[in-house]
Amino acid sequence: MSTVVNTPRPQGVAGPSGPAAPLDRLRALQSEGRLVTEYPSVAPLLAELPYGDKGAADLVRAGQLLSRLDPDEVAAANPGTLTVSVAVAGHSTVGALAAPLTAELARHGILLRLTLGDFDGYLRELQDTGSQLYAPGLDLALVVLDAQAVFDELPVVWRVEDLEKAAATKLAQLGKLVERYVGHGTGTLVLNTLPLHRLHTHQLVDLRSRAALGVAWREFNAGLLRLAAAHERVVVIDLDPLVALGGALNEPRMASYAKANLGDELLGRYAREIGHLARTLRGRAKKVLVLDLDNTLWDGVLGDDGADGIAAATTFRGEAFGNFQKIAKQIGSQGVLLAVSSKNDQEPVLEVLRTHPDMVLRDTDFVRVNANWNPKDGNLRDIAAKLNLGVDSFVFADDSPFETGLVAAGLPEVAVVRLDEEPALHVERLLADGWFDVRELTAEDRARAALYRVESDRQDLLDSSGSLEEYLEQLGVQVKVAAVGEADLARVAQLTLRTNQFNLTTERLQPAEVRERIEDPDHLVLSVRSGDRFGDNGVVGALFAHRTPQGLHIDNLLLSCRVFSRGIEQAAVTSVLAYAVAQGLGPVTAAYRPTKKNHRVRDFWPSLGFEPSGGDEEELSFSHPLAELPAVPSHLRLDTDF
Amino acid sequence: MITETAFIQIVRDELALPLAETDLENDFDKVVSWDSLHLLRLIAAVEKETGKRVSVGKLLSERSLRGIYTLLAA
Repeated sequence: MSTVVNTPRPQGVAGPSGPAAPLDRLRALQSEGRLVTEYPSVAPLLAELPYGDKGAADLVRAGQLLSRLDPDEVAAANPGTLTVSVAVAGHSTVGALAAPLTAELARHGILLRLTLGDFDGYLRELQDTGSQLYAPGLDLALVVLDAQAVFDELPVVWRVEDLEKAAATKLAQLGKLVERYVGHGTGTLVLNTLPLHRLHTHQLVDLRSRAALGVAWREFNAGLLRLAAAHERVVVIDLDPLVALGGALNEPRMASYAKANLGDELLGRYAREIGHLARTLRGRAKKVLVLDLDNTLWDGVLGDDGADGIAAATTFRGEAFGNFQKIAKQIGSQGVLLAVSSKNDQEPVLEVLRTHPDMVLRDTDFVRVNANWNPKDGNLRDIAAKLNLGVDSFVFADDSPFETGLVAAGLPEVAVVRLDEEPALHVERLLADGWFDVRELTAEDRARAALYRVESDRQDLLDSSGSLEEYLEQLGVQVKVAAVGEADLARVAQLTLRTNQFNLTTERLQPAEVRERIEDPDHLVLSVRSGDRFGDNGVVGALFAHRTPQGLHIDNLLLSCRVFSRGIEQAAVTSVLAYAVAQGLGPVTAAYRPTKKNHRVRDFWPSLGFEPSGGDEEELSFSHPLAELPAVPSHLRLDTDF
Repeated sequence: MITETAFIQIVRDELALPLAETDLENDFDKVVSWDSLHLLRLIAAVEKETGKRVSVGKLLSERSLRGIYTLLAA
């Protein structure tokens, strides 16, 4: 793509050396006044930025540009743009967070609606239920704290006992304010641990007191982190690992003159964490990690060097690759599906994965191994189709700039991790972004890879069956629809957050919101569990409904894409219709809200005897008169418990 | 020492401000969406460009980009 740039900046012009750098293309869009209308092209441009020489600084520069756009104009010009509303409060000035936050969310294609609080306003704003933090419908309330929040409470001359007392008092105060927020606010409250600076510890000259300060400080931060364990809608970002990445905690002059106690570099890293949190809130966490093999998982090229010539242990470089394999396996153990896309022949690759002594990752760790000579963008599409997932849930890691460039250009919705020839940096590159961050892991997550592998056994049965009916008969599907209890609450919330295709209204619910509905006697919150002769599928679906004066309204129905087309969804709805009849309720109503992902369930309600009852393009309404109930598919056994 | 052209470019690139030529002379109150954070970002960028430390305390009391440039170029 070539960009014509009409600007006095010479580096903005595409010269003979190739296309202009992403930041210059962004500036060109801005100077031509096309940034609003061409907002969808922003995310792919930003995707390249972090890999540049001045990645973090360039992202802030891009954020400056983008933060000046009017979110209303962008949303109006680009219907369907994902939006997240964020309010910030802080102890020091919070303005410097605007640019990196805008950029980090834009990397995910998320448009930021930002409200900034006053300087040192966090206590008042947390207390005042009319403040920006309590705005109706707010997604994220960021309360950005730094060590001065505690140190400012100390007398001019202080001893470590004063600090211990101040820290304990501050923690208790924050605990109360958090409870207030959880009781009255709608968003997810985000706090952070407070990094301790040498300028704090070394105000004390005796080592014993300094050590006591260190203890009090860690206890304070640990207390903050425990707030997240105590409240479902509270997240605490631990800044220690972000500080440990290096660089100054702040710029002393900016801290002194502008009360910018957390420096730009640290705020940039914080903003990245928030970007991934926003992604998770919107149900966009990545689900699949696709890895290259040669010089990504092992040292060498299998086709050239042979199985004996590659290494993932014993040599210096080999060990670095082995470490990378360990990290991939670790990620794979937490619900992320691992797959391979490699330019190799299939058989030698499988042989290495099964028998090579160096390998930490084995063939059974992968849900798909695509070793062939087709272009990788096509392979990623193929893997997605086989797993019944969208490529937008993929992360792709490869050491070849050709392959990463090809995938970035051909499939901009895939997150691309650009590895290079230095294997010791592979882990850092992979973990630089929290692509797989989720609020909470469930039992289903830990078993996910195994569940997908069993899927290939089912596929074999399907291939050997004469027809779909015959396959379903032999599969022996069992379905249990039950009221959701504590054990399944996290999984049901997660289904609302992760499921995109079979999701009739795409209403995302955090665990706390699911709990509210469970506790409300007018609401019905049901889990759908399934299994078959190959094993238990776990909780694969959820149904939300509530009683209305007229009857029962189904708020949403979701089903994991692993178990489509087995009659499970029909069985679940039939059980609810039967329930409405048994309870003597009136007609059962339901809705379908189209998104980019859920078009395949557009005709779901009519297929079960629901009649269209109006609505518009945003939401179609349906109603079931309950005169005649659909039959439970004969190939499955249905249990209900609600 | 920094040239006026380089200074204007830094202002535009670092702050992404839609800057008119006359904004160099104007009081900050008249410059589109100016705030004190801009000044600090600008100083950081100029220091990076020139490799010299700027006296932030003095600059903070300046009221126009021209005034800042004059101090920086002095």
